[in-house]
Amino acid sequence: MRSEEEVNQAVELYADTVRRICLMHLKNDADTEDIFQTVFVKYLLHTAPFASAEHERAWIIRVTINACKDLLRSVFRRRTVSLEEASELSAPPEEHRAVLQAVQGLPAAYRNVVYLHYYEGYTAPEIAQILGKNVNTIYTRLTRARGLLRQALGGDDDA
Amino acid sequence: MHEKLRAALDSVHAEPELKAATRAAVARRIRQRPARALRLAPAVCAVMVILGGPWLYFTPTAHISIDINPSLELGINRFDRVISVEGWNDDGTALAETLDVTHLSYTDAVEHILSSDPVQTLLESDAAVEIGVFGDNASHCARLLAGVEACTNGRQNAHCYQAGSEEVEQAHNCGLSYGKYRAYLELAALDPSVTVEQVQGMTMRQIRERIAALSDSAPAAGSAETPVSGNHQNQQTGPGHHGAGHHGE
Repeated sequence: MRSEEEVNQAVELYADTVRRICLMHLKNDADTEDIFQTVFVKYLLHTAPFASAEHERAWIIRVTINACKDLLRSVFRRRTVSLEEASELSAPPEEHRAVLQAVQGLPAAYRNVVYLHYYEGYTAPEIAQILGKNVNTIYTRLTRARGLLRQALGGDDDA
Repeated sequence: MHEKLRAALDSVHAEPELKAATRAAVARRIRQRPARALRLAPAVCAVMVILGGPWLYFTPTAHISIDINPSLELGINRFDRVISVEGWNDDGTALAETLDVTHLSYTDAVEHILSSDPVQTLLESDAAVEIGVFGDNASHCARLLAGVEACTNGRQNAHCYQAGSEEVEQAHNCGLSYGKYRAYLELAALDPSVTVEQVQGMTMRQIRERIAALSDSAPAAGSAETPVSGNHQNQQTGPGHHGAGHHGE
């Protein structure tokens, strides 16, 4: 088991990354809090060393994506969200709201690919490795996601 | 679009409250680990009892050797229950087959054996009975010896003793129960020509009478042993006997 200090450092380092992935998949802050706790408790219990900082980052991303999938799949996730909780939903900044809503509107399988490629800068083979998918599948998803985003946002495609 | 996406996602940050809640959850988890382990302790104990209980019950921790002519050995577990009955000669095997003392407490088993018809018949004809307790745990054996002594209290021709496991192993290697092996050693000290095979066919009374006869007729046979009386009241220092002994009063 890792030390509390190590985990706190990881929270500082990767909290924004985890938050962005949660934003792509989840609808409320209560679920986001669950995912944070799941990811960083797993990090606490994960004793195998990471080969590099990049390896550690990829591990956090993969665990977060899997945790989101599990949460959404869970048959126990029939929790009602109180009005107070619902009101706490974090609204993205006004100028970026349309872009983020367009990404959230993509099919679930495309959201991770878009995030990993356009934001984290991973190549298709790297994304294939992280998500455990075929490289060609990643290329296909990227192409389709790009088309859907163009439709949603209109304008140019500088990707 | 690439820049728009990057800028939009760059604007998303984890709220300080979210990070604080995560840190608190991790700290709680670290503190809960021992408590959780303790909560699991009863379940772990139950599993150990279920899985290890039969092993604990059916593993003998001591043996009680009963020698008259029938030679028997009772396997006793740590709960003082009889878990095996083994005959060490033909008479002993025959007697073991008629006895139903498994799972009885060792005191009930010894009383049952001593009051059984074949044994009663022998004792009425002045046969000697030797009851030995042996095992690796000296304190357990001492407790068993006290119980056996209580069972034989009042029997003139009964002798109880405690022995070590190594001596018992030597007896078993000779194909004898420990009580008879002790008597054999005593006899062999007086009569070196006696063989294990001869002793196997003799009753304890016959061996004792032979020892007594040799002791009386040939005190110079080289033994510094205490002479053995007919009712075996002085066998404590016999060869091969390294434990405490008790004679029935």
